[in-house]
Amino acid sequence: MFKDATLVLGYELRGLLRNPIWPLFGILQPILYLAFFAPLLGSTVPGGSDQEVLAMFTPGMMLMIALFGSMFAGFSVMNDTRNGVLERLVVSQIWRPAIILGRVLKDAVALVIQAAIIIAISIALGLRVTLLAALLMLGLMALTGLLAGSFSYALALSIRDENAMSQIVQFLAMPLTLIAGLFLPVSLGPGWLGTIAQFNPLYYAVEAGRSLFRGDLGATTIPLAFAIFVVLCALTLIWSVRSLRRLGT
Amino acid sequence: MIIEAHELRKTFVSGRGKGNEVEAVRGIDLEVADGEVFAVLGPNGAGKTTTVRMLATFTPPTSGRALVNGFDIVKQADKVRASIGYVSQSGGVDDLAPAIENLMLAGRIAGMSKAQAKARAEELMEIFALGEIGNRPARTLSGGQKRRFAVAIGLVAAPPLIFLDEPTTGLDPQNRANLWEEVRKLRAQGTSVLLTTHYLDEADALCDRLVIVDHGRIVAEGTPEALKKEVAGDVVTVKVADRIEQARALLSAEPYVREVVQEDDLLRAYLDDGERGLPSVLRALDRDGLVIQSITLSRATLDDVFLKHTGRSLRDAA
Ligand SMILES: Nc1ncnc2c1ncn2[C@@H]1O[C@H](COP(=O)(O)OP(=O)(O)OP(=O)(O)O)[C@@H](O)[C@H]1O
Ligand SMILES: [Mg+2]
Repeated sequence: MFKDATLVLGYELRGLLRNPIWPLFGILQPILYLAFFAPLLGSTVPGGSDQEVLAMFTPGMMLMIALFGSMFAGFSVMNDTRNGVLERLVVSQIWRPAIILGRVLKDAVALVIQAAIIIAISIALGLRVTLLAALLMLGLMALTGLLAGSFSYALALSIRDENAMSQIVQFLAMPLTLIAGLFLPVSLGPGWLGTIAQFNPLYYAVEAGRSLFRGDLGATTIPLAFAIFVVLCALTLIWSVRSLRRLGT
Repeated sequence: MIIEAHELRKTFVSGRGKGNEVEAVRGIDLEVADGEVFAVLGPNGAGKTTTVRMLATFTPPTSGRALVNGFDIVKQADKVRASIGYVSQSGGVDDLAPAIENLMLAGRIAGMSKAQAKARAEELMEIFALGEIGNRPARTLSGGQKRRFAVAIGLVAAPPLIFLDEPTTGLDPQNRANLWEEVRKLRAQGTSVLLTTHYLDEADALCDRLVIVDHGRIVAEGTPEALKKEVAGDVVTVKVADRIEQARALLSAEPYVREVVQEDDLLRAYLDDGERGLPSVLRALDRDGLVIQSITLSRATLDDVFLKHTGRSLRDAA
């Protein structure tokens, strides 16, 4: 079972290694934000030191690539529905969830590497985090990537239409990032904003990330985010495997 | 029997409402014996791919049942999958990866160790003359090279039964002949093969038995020889300048002519012994003053079988 997932993961990672350039483009955007946008935030964050600004801002930037990187992952599988790759895998002896799992795990690996680079850059800019907090943040990144990735695969396998897919993803990504308080905490805004944010999984990830980077490892936001993400990951994976089964109908 | 299918049907419902139903397969019965090379011959849209997809467990049938290797294609789909190879019409080669990676992954999924998968991949690349190009990204391969890889991937696990959906479409005559040779080797090793094709000569040359399908139904079944014999040994194709109806009636009245079929402005007269019959055909037409524009004598082909059963020629049935 899980052996199949590692086989697909290995296959996909070798593909990534053949073209290691593209994921680097993904981190350019958050780095630009860190360099040129974070310095503007000094006056909005309580305290206003570099350390406090970066602790508030870095998690949001990391989750931005988790979301944008993974929500588009489904495009890669669209082609495989047409060239027969999925058709072949689905009637092979493979444990079917491995087809999706191997792919989203590859995306998660790439994401964790990107996230580690961003943390390193933030530290160079003045962020101070404990190793444990950094590792937990990477774990949260991986989960966000898994969730957004399997959501994207499920969507791609269900609609099988690039144009519709890109419309839907664009339509979702914008409000998801805005209502999560990716750039500034939602708590700075009016109460109603906080209320809607509670329906956005990304909000919990950003809040947990900020707690981690503030050094507040006991905050309830952290286990809450992990719990929500594990459950949602399981649900989206089930959905994507079901859409695989419907390919032939 | 390695395949037994009974009354298989598939109706696709695309979109909403009754108007969007497509009856792709309308009740197909198949029996394929162990070690047989079996062909499903039919024009575009006949339901060949849909039939193969149902047998390979990709598409669930709307109704009917089938056993593949003794396992039910719906209730024991996982057991069916473990005992078949399947090469889809679109091939299923991942364009971004080197072809050898595709082969290795297929081997590992079938339960081979890394070393076994590598050895098997190299063996297959040898057989299909793919040695030098195996490390290139598959997107750089020609259509024919990619097709050979697709077939090789389907054979990785050396399954007792392999499905090949239009395996030679897009191959040049040389590679087509090579692939036929491979299929014959598979049969020699005792592997059963179910292939689909719309090439008459392919079905004729390659298979032990075949079915001809049209509009989702089987219209004829048997060995190529038996099917052709059923129509007649030879065909005289005549083109007359005018009065085609009269010519048709005239030929039909001749005792040695088994049947006359009209195809556009051609008349095809089926007779058991063409060499002897041809002069009589000429004489009969001449007697009534019909002007013959052309006349040919040939052996009956599977196309004549198709023509007899559907009233259309396979060449323009699509
Ligand atoms: N997923 C699907 N949804 C709706 N209709 C379908 C689907 N798959 C096939 N069909 C329809 O079913 C019919 C049979 O298709 P099928 O692909 O089985 O034909 P085929 O004999 O393989 O043809 P070809 O020689 O062109 O490959 C066609 O009319 C096709 O349009
Ligand atoms: Mg087909």
